Amino acid sequence: MNLSKKNKLVIIIVLVITFGVSAIYAYAMQAPAKIESKKADFIGTSDQLLIKILEDPAAWQDKIVVISGKVTSLDDKGILLSASIYCQLKDTTVLKKINPTNDISLKGRIIGYDDLLEELKLDQCIIQ
Amino acid sequence: MKKILLLAFLFLSVSIVAQKYYTKTGKTQFKASVEAFEPVEATNNSTTAIINTASGEIASLLFVKAFNFRVALMQEHFNENYMDASKYPKATFKGTVVGFNLSEISDTKKYILNGKLTVKGIEKEIETFALFSKKEDKLLMQASFEVQTSDFKIKIPKIVRNKIAGTITISLAYEFIEKK
Repeated sequence: MNLSKKNKLVIIIVLVITFGVSAIYAYAMQAPAKIESKKADFIGTSDQLLIKILEDPAAWQDKIVVISGKVTSLDDKGILLSASIYCQLKDTTVLKKINPTNDISLKGRIIGYDDLLEELKLDQCIIQ
Repeated sequence: MKKILLLAFLFLSVSIVAQKYYTKTGKTQFKASVEAFEPVEATNNSTTAIINTASGEIASLLFVKAFNFRVALMQEHFNENYMDASKYPKATFKGTVVGFNLSEISDTKKYILNGKLTVKGIEKEIETFALFSKKEDKLLMQASFEVQTSDFKIKIPKIVRNKIAGTITISLAYEFIEKK
């Protein structure tokens, strides 16, 4: 196949535009980042976190934390840690494997302090 | 006599405590989609709600940043540009289920739900229907209503105005459990 210079140029331009548009589209339509790949802003015990939260609750919104603590209770969507941190699980099938008498460590995102139930709320939690 | 009063009071307080149902993981969804464009919708699966089954009073609270979108960029714009989530992290609803009576709910029972919705610090009166039913020991509630973006001073830039509906449909699905 013998293409003239002009035709080659046209093909290259079309290819560049196609790649460019699909790259922009892929960027614009990206799914939100997964919790697994996010860096933790705080690592420690649930009690240490509570002290920090009470100092300045607004600063902790949307932060990723890794906390360990005692399981107070379980429901079908999550775990209550240290009687005051509710951790909503990303994958509820792990609930069966949790031994409520043991301490647990999990990674999650702080969504805020719930003043109706007086609990700190985390979502997307994964067991560490 | 005093003892009887004390006992009666204790019994009363126990029964008052038992009259509340709550959820921490209620589902709140909104849709502001325009046909033929990328759907503008998100779900919040972490809504807290408490209902007093004696009086029908209901209170709920959700965190704006806990709305999950399919597209990250849309979520960012929602939080930062439209909802100003850092300044107004919560949206709340306080209201009453008119004539609520737990004992008459078996299949599905429809009640009028009214109250105040607070978004971005702005209050709006809402009146809609709520459907209640029972599933095992859970009390289920479903409702939906419409609000306008202008009700909460949400400005939509001209460039995307034809892709985002001015009327937003909000639907709720809560599975209450008894508070012990």
